[in-house]
Parts: sequence; structure tokens; C-alpha cells
Amino acid sequence: MIRERIYKELLFLDGGMGTLLQEKGLNPGELPETWNLKNKEAVISIHRQYYEAGSDIVLTNTFGANALKFRDSEYRLQDIIQAAVENAKEARTLAGVDDGRHYIGLDMGPTGKLLKPMGYLGFEEAYEAFAEVVRCGVKAGADLIHIETMSDTYETKAAVLAAKEESDLPVFATLIFDEKGKLLTGGDVPSVVALLEGLGVDALGINCGLGPKQMMPILCEMRRWASVPIIVKPNAGLPKQRDGHTYYDVTPEEFADCMEEMVEEGACIIGGCCGTTPEHIRMMTNVCREKAIHVPEKKTDTIVSSYGQAAVLGDMPLIIGERINPTGKKRFKQALKEKDIDYILKEGIRQQEQGAHILDVNVGLPDIDEPAMMEEVITELQGITSLPLQIDTVDAKAMERAMRIYNGKPMVNSVSGKQESMDMVFPLVKKYGGVVIGLALDEGGIPETAEGRVEIAGKIIKEAEKYGIERKDIIIDVLTMTISSEPEGARIVLEALEKVRRRYGVKTVLGVSNISFGLPYRPAVNSTFYALAMQKGLTAGIINPGSEEMMKVYRSYLALMNFDKNCEAYIRAYADQEEKGKEKTGAKEEMTLGYAIQKGLKEEAGHLAKACLGEAEPLDIINQHLIPALDYVGKGFEKGTIFLPQLLMSADAAKEAFAVIKEALEESGRQEEKKEKVILATVKGDIHDIGKNIVKVLLENYGFDVIDLGKDVDPKRIVETAIKEQVCLVGLSALMTTTVVSMEETIRLLREEKPDCKVMVGGAVLNEEYADMIGADFYGKDAMQSVYYAQRVLKEQG
Amino acid sequence: MDRKIKEAIRYLGYGSHAIDEKTLAMIESSFEELEKIVRMRFIYRIFELSHEEGNRLRIGQWEIESKSLSKNMKGCGQVVVFAATLGTEADRLMRRYALTDMAKTVVIQACAAALLEEYCDACQDEISEQMWQEGYYLRPRFSPGYGDFDIRHQERLLGLLDAGKSIGLTMTESCMLVPTKSVTALIGASTTKTACHRQGCEVCEKTDCIYRRDSR
Repeated sequence: MIRERIYKELLFLDGGMGTLLQEKGLNPGELPETWNLKNKEAVISIHRQYYEAGSDIVLTNTFGANALKFRDSEYRLQDIIQAAVENAKEARTLAGVDDGRHYIGLDMGPTGKLLKPMGYLGFEEAYEAFAEVVRCGVKAGADLIHIETMSDTYETKAAVLAAKEESDLPVFATLIFDEKGKLLTGGDVPSVVALLEGLGVDALGINCGLGPKQMMPILCEMRRWASVPIIVKPNAGLPKQRDGHTYYDVTPEEFADCMEEMVEEGACIIGGCCGTTPEHIRMMTNVCREKAIHVPEKKTDTIVSSYGQAAVLGDMPLIIGERINPTGKKRFKQALKEKDIDYILKEGIRQQEQGAHILDVNVGLPDIDEPAMMEEVITELQGITSLPLQIDTVDAKAMERAMRIYNGKPMVNSVSGKQESMDMVFPLVKKYGGVVIGLALDEGGIPETAEGRVEIAGKIIKEAEKYGIERKDIIIDVLTMTISSEPEGARIVLEALEKVRRRYGVKTVLGVSNISFGLPYRPAVNSTFYALAMQKGLTAGIINPGSEEMMKVYRSYLALMNFDKNCEAYIRAYADQEEKGKEKTGAKEEMTLGYAIQKGLKEEAGHLAKACLGEAEPLDIINQHLIPALDYVGKGFEKGTIFLPQLLMSADAAKEAFAVIKEALEESGRQEEKKEKVILATVKGDIHDIGKNIVKVLLENYGFDVIDLGKDVDPKRIVETAIKEQVCLVGLSALMTTTVVSMEETIRLLREEKPDCKVMVGGAVLNEEYADMIGADFYGKDAMQSVYYAQRVLKEQG
Repeated sequence: MDRKIKEAIRYLGYGSHAIDEKTLAMIESSFEELEKIVRMRFIYRIFELSHEEGNRLRIGQWEIESKSLSKNMKGCGQVVVFAATLGTEADRLMRRYALTDMAKTVVIQACAAALLEEYCDACQDEISEQMWQEGYYLRPRFSPGYGDFDIRHQERLLGLLDAGKSIGLTMTESCMLVPTKSVTALIGASTTKTACHRQGCEVCEKTDCIYRRDSR
């Protein structure tokens, strides 16, 4: 019923609750939700006033009623929610509107916690908190779920998923935007719309944060992107302060007039947030009651999004970075096996810097737990990049896991024309949202003709329609075949690409580099083929953005086709191209490797190490150049003539040189010397890990094998790792008095279970005395002290 | 030299030593990079403050026992509850550099701290101006964790400002602020002007700290 009405008529929500409760005696700091039981007459009376003022939907007094926010010793959460819904029902009866056309919305606000990886709260924990609220609300008889005042797309996704999985009720979701149209966590209007529509909300919109006037531009932007009815629920102006009280000063008359304009601009479900009263709502319903609504027209934009940005796949071709993929990469496979997440993240950062717009993520390898690895890599990537991700896997579990925990609307790679594949992938796309790549192959293999591939594309599109997945969310890959075995391969692909685009109006994608398999000097063929494909209308190429040839073609293409206004990006990339060439030939000859390290010259250190390799044994280079240079810098740091940034620049330069030497050792089949293992961890509860990371860089340079357990590490995990890896030195860091407690706990546990293990500690609040008190063996007042101590321990151990 | 550059140099432990060119260039580029991505926000509310027996202070139902805070708030009938943040993007930037360039990470962290401090000062000036018109003078900011002002008061403070909703500032179970580049503080307001310069760093008992403003 609600689901139909929102497309036909204007519906009215209620107004503020918190401020009215305060007027009735709610104290600052008192949980408003407790009044559902403690003072239910007050709550019922407010609900009743809103129904009488003309609200079609009244929201329960449950904004902060979730297990993460609502902590009360007196009342149980379930009882609060049950009572809240009953209060609204009672009010509805008292107001005489028990006519089946007046509804109760179960109100859900944020948890007040920031989700991982930037915060602390796990996605599933957030989900579970919301799911509990939904279960209680459904049982109590709510008519719809209203999620509001959200600042974070990730938390919103958890709430929407909970609402959809735990109920069949309509789901509304509104977020707080600032005047620039951004969420506190950085998301913009298109990224929010893409995410929420992908998840299948019934209506979405804006609430709180701003007054009606300030919301107008955001409403217009939302109407540009949205296809479902839009909710607008502003405050009564911007908050002001007087005598320690916050107040809002937009009058009911002004509010009603503004809301009338909002309806004309596309608002379909309207109400008020902070500072609005039954009087605001009464005026609003009086003025707007007879107005027709303008439901946004259906949009056809193909959008993928991350927490903070949307990538619109349109006429300008985009780059999907292909490097997070183990296929044919020995080092990457090793990283996956060793769970070296940092290595994988660096691949992501590099591609972002090189110009990728979307990152493909493939971590499939036999004998690893792909779903778990996928989840970890996606989570961590979200902590360092705002680029949208492309989930690339054939493992159904990994795909679902990734789509569930992804903060945005992902690209999904891929579905094929095989029935089995479509049966697996489409339900996931329907549930979680996403733009899915459809491969032009089926049970019969890859058709040889262009027409054959185009037909499979049609089949995929048709099957998707059965699930309600629109064409805008399908992007077809007509499959690049290598020309060395298929002489007509390139022609067929280009023909199919254009046909698919014209016949179905869908977007296209290609993995470009397959074209040249088996040929010498592949970049020449790849880049030419890439140019031809773009000319035929390729929407996105899955390429290596680190390939200079590909990027040259890409940037030139954008400049030629006027996608790059005034050739700005082209000029930025290549303006100093000729000069660069000159510089390289005139490299400074006098510089030594030691000097480069002392001065922290990373690139030079790498080059010079390579040069040295021609003249000396790898180990001699380390002992005669690298170590003395590091010692020089370390001593300078101790004396106070060299400072932390310089120390670390030298460390980075040395690392570069070490990498070159290591490579040479491996090539000549020799092993590095066995390294001593050291565990580093920032203790449980602590999230400041910069000090630990500094120590790590230095220890690695001095030849230690650092097992970095990260931050917020459980004592048990540290002890278990120490035992399993037979480590004799553990370094712990903690920033605050509140977390030194877990440091102490970790040390105690280590003493019990691995008594031969030494413990060194560091961190802002620590000193010698404090370190003694908690039972540490050593207090490192700075990073170099930790290195020296580690060397001493190593010597003692033999 | 720009004040915030000087502050960043101090946070990096240079004391009174001259800074090298390479680091200085890195500091300058770090500020540029930060200023492009941070979204600074602040919020405050003004409450009545009452002083009770035994170094106890009361703000509504919130009771704080702290000798150092009581000293700081002496003579103040009002208190500004304040919070400010650079937002999550500064954290994300540091996470990213921690993987590829530790020197840069350390420099960005120092610059972010300096930027935040400068922003807090600007916010305080704005509040100060408004309070002055009502006849109040402001004291220096005093944050949970300073002296014996227990860090665990963080939760109450954030709650009073509804800081999660208003500026996106939350905390962990162990009272650490998230985003990390954030400040919360109480600022006393009295009707008499006391001769107090900006303190904070100088009142700390750790006199051998290399980051100390008045060291060396």
C-alpha cells in the first residue's frame, strides 16, 4: 500500500521529537527512548499531535534505540522498542486515524560509532545491532522502516540490509548532507543514490543538518540522479544558541512555504527534523495537501561508487586497473600465500597514482581461503583509496562476501551466458546492487562470429530483466581473442563491440592485453588495439595503468576526442617529457651509494646499488656501503643532528637499495642470510600505530624479519604468534594510559606462555619507570633505541 | 616562516635546530596535500559551570573531579564544551603513506596536528569574540587527558555535543578519538580577565619532553 502511494501522492512525515521531550522535562544526557516506558503519556501525546496535524507517517521514538548506543541499566532494548511502537499505535487510535492509511515508521538512527577500517566497528556488528531493532519493530507491528540521520554510507548499508533481510516492510533511508552536498564521511549525492537504489530502498532522501532553504540545491542534485521518490525532512533552519540552549528559528509559516517549493522541485515525502513542531507540520500539510508530486523519472546512468565518490560510466572511456590479480605473477601469488596484504594494497595505490578510475580485485588462488582473503583485501583497500572497486571472482562465496561488505555499489566481474552462472550471480546483484560485467560466452563456448557474441549479450540482458536488473547495470565484454591464434580476432571483437552498443544500448568493457598473446613487443599491439576499441565506443578498458604505451594512447585519445578540456590532463602528464629525458643522461657521477642513503635519495640509492652490483659481491655492498651509511644516520639521530624525517628518508633509500640487492641474490640462486624474527604490535584498544610503523621500517633495514600484527591486537594473538613463529622479541606500542592496561596484560600473558621471550615497549605515555612497572624488559624512548636493543637481544641469544 | 610550519617542525622533534631543505619541502607539500582533502568542522555548546567541594566541577548532570581542571576553571561561571576534527580523509592519507613512504607519513602526521591546532585557535577566537560581547573572557582549552582530567570523560563530552552526528567525531572503547586528528576540550569563561597566555603544552609535568614548546 505504502509502496504504491509514494508514487501517486504526497505523503507527510512528522516533525521533531527530541526538543519536544526536553520541553516536557527530559534532561540533557537522559536517553529519550527510556520515555517510551518511563513517561509514555508524553510520547503518545506528541505522536498524537502529529497525526492530528496531518502526518500520514509518524516515526517511533527509537532513534538511538540500538544495542551500540542505548545502554541503560533499567530497561531492556526489546521492551523499549515494543513500547515505542505501541505508543504510536495508541496515539493513532486517539487521533482517530486508524483507517489503514496512517502509518507507523520504525525509526532507526546511527550507532554513534565509525565503522572499520577508518573506525572500530565491524560491518557485521553494525548489521546485527540494526537487525535486532528491525526484528523487535516488526514483531511490535511497525508499518515501515525509516532509517535516518545517517552520515556514513557504510553504516547506512548495514541498516538497509538489516531492514531488507529481517522484514518485508517498505524501507526509507535519509542521510545528512552539508551545504556542499557531501556527507560527513565524504560521500556525494550520486554515490549515495547509486548505493541505496542498488540495495533496493523504496524511497531515499535528505534529513537534518540543514534548514529547508539550504536543502534545495541538494534536492535538485538528488532529482538529477534518483529514480525512486525523494524524502525531504529539514530542520527548522540552522541551529543557533542562546543561554546554553540550541534553538531553531524558521517559523511554521516560512517552513510551510519552503516545503511547498520543495514539492514543486521533486520532494515526494516531506516532514520536519530538529526544531520542527506539530505547528510546523500543520502549516505544511495545510499548504501542501493538494499538491501533485513529481516522482523522478527513471535514470539510465551506469554508476559504480565507493564511500566517497561515484564513477559514471559514460561516453568518456574509463580505466579499470588490472594489477590486483595473481594470474601470471609470481610475486603476487607469494603475497597471497603469505597474507602480505600490504603488497596488495601497494598495487592499489600505485594504480590510483597512475590514473586508474576503478580497481579490479582478484585474489583467487587454489589452496587459499578466497572468501576470507577477498573480504580482508576489500576492507583494507577501502581504508586507503576512494576509487570504486571491481569484485573479480568465480567463487560464489567470495563474491557474496565481497558484495556484502563493500562500501558502495561495486562493479562485479563477472556473469556469463551460462545458465549456471546467471543463476548464481544475478540474485546477488539484485540483492546488493552492482554493475555486472556480462561475458559473451555460454555453454557452447565463445562464438566465432560477432553476431554470435551479440546474441549471447542479448540473452544475458534478457535473463537479468527477470530479476528486475536494468540494462544500465549490465556492461558487456565481447571477449578479446589473441590474434596470433585467431587472425580475425580483433576484427570480430571490434564489430561485436559496436553492435552490442548499438543494438542494446548497453555499456562495454574489454580486457585489452589478451590481443597480443604470443607476440613480441606486445605493448605496440595492445595500445593500438586499445585505441581502436575506444574509437568503437569502449566504455572501460581493463588495462595496466602502469604501461606507459597504454596511458599515452589513453591520454591522447581523450585529448583528441575533446574529453580532456584544453588538453589539460595531457599537458600535465607530458609537458616536461623532453626535459626528463635530458636529465637522465646527465646523472651525477660522483655520488656514492652511502651518500645517497645518508641523504635519503631513494631513486639514486636504487640506481647506485644496481651499479655497485657489477663491481662487488652483494653481501659486501651491504656490509661496506649500506650498514655504515645507516649507522652514520642512526648515530646522528641519537646525537640530535639528524631528525626523524631524515632518519626515515634514509631508511626508505636503504630499503630501495636492499630490494635491488635481494633481487640479485635471488637471481643468482643464493639465499639471504636467515633473519631473526621480531613481532611488532600496537596493543588492544589502541589505534595509533605510527610509532610502531617507524620501528618496523628501521628494524627491517637492520636485517630483522618483522612480523607486523598491526593495531588493536588482542594479547592472545600476540602470544600465539610468538609461540608459533618461535619469536624471542616482541615490541609493543601504546599511546594512552587507557591502553597501557592492555600492554600490561599482553606482557603478563607472554610471561606465562612464552617466558623466554623479551618484550620492548614504547609510546607517548610511557617512560622507564612505567615500563618497569608493567614488567617490560626494555623501554625504547625512540626508534633507534629499539633497534639497538633488538641487536643486543639477538647477540645474547647467540 | 608560517606559524603552522614552525609548529610542524617542532612536532617533528627539531627543537631549536635548523631544518634541512628536503624536510622543509616535504612539510610544505604535505600542508598543500592536506589542505586539499581535509574537511575541518567544529562544534561547541555553552553551559553553566558550578564549582563544588574537593575539586569537583558540575556541568548539568556531568560531574568531573580534577584538580588541574578546577584550577584552570577557577572563577569561571560558564564553560564552552568544544570539539573539532580534520575528518577521516587525513587518517586515510596517513594510512596510505604508511605503506609507501614512512618519512612522509611522519611529516603529514605533524602537519595535520599543526593544522588542527591552528584551526582550533581560529575557532576559539570566533567563540571568544562572541562571548566577549556577552561580557565573558575565555580561558585556554583544556582537554580530557590533560593533568588529572580523566580521559574517560571523553564519552560524556562527545555526547553533550552529539559530536558523531554533528561533526562526525566518535571514540573507541578506550576513549581514543576517531578520526584521530581531532580535539575535544573544555574552555572556561569568566567575567574577569585573567592574565593567562595560551597554555596546554607548558603546564604538562613531562618537562624533559623533546616536543615541549618552551624546551631548549
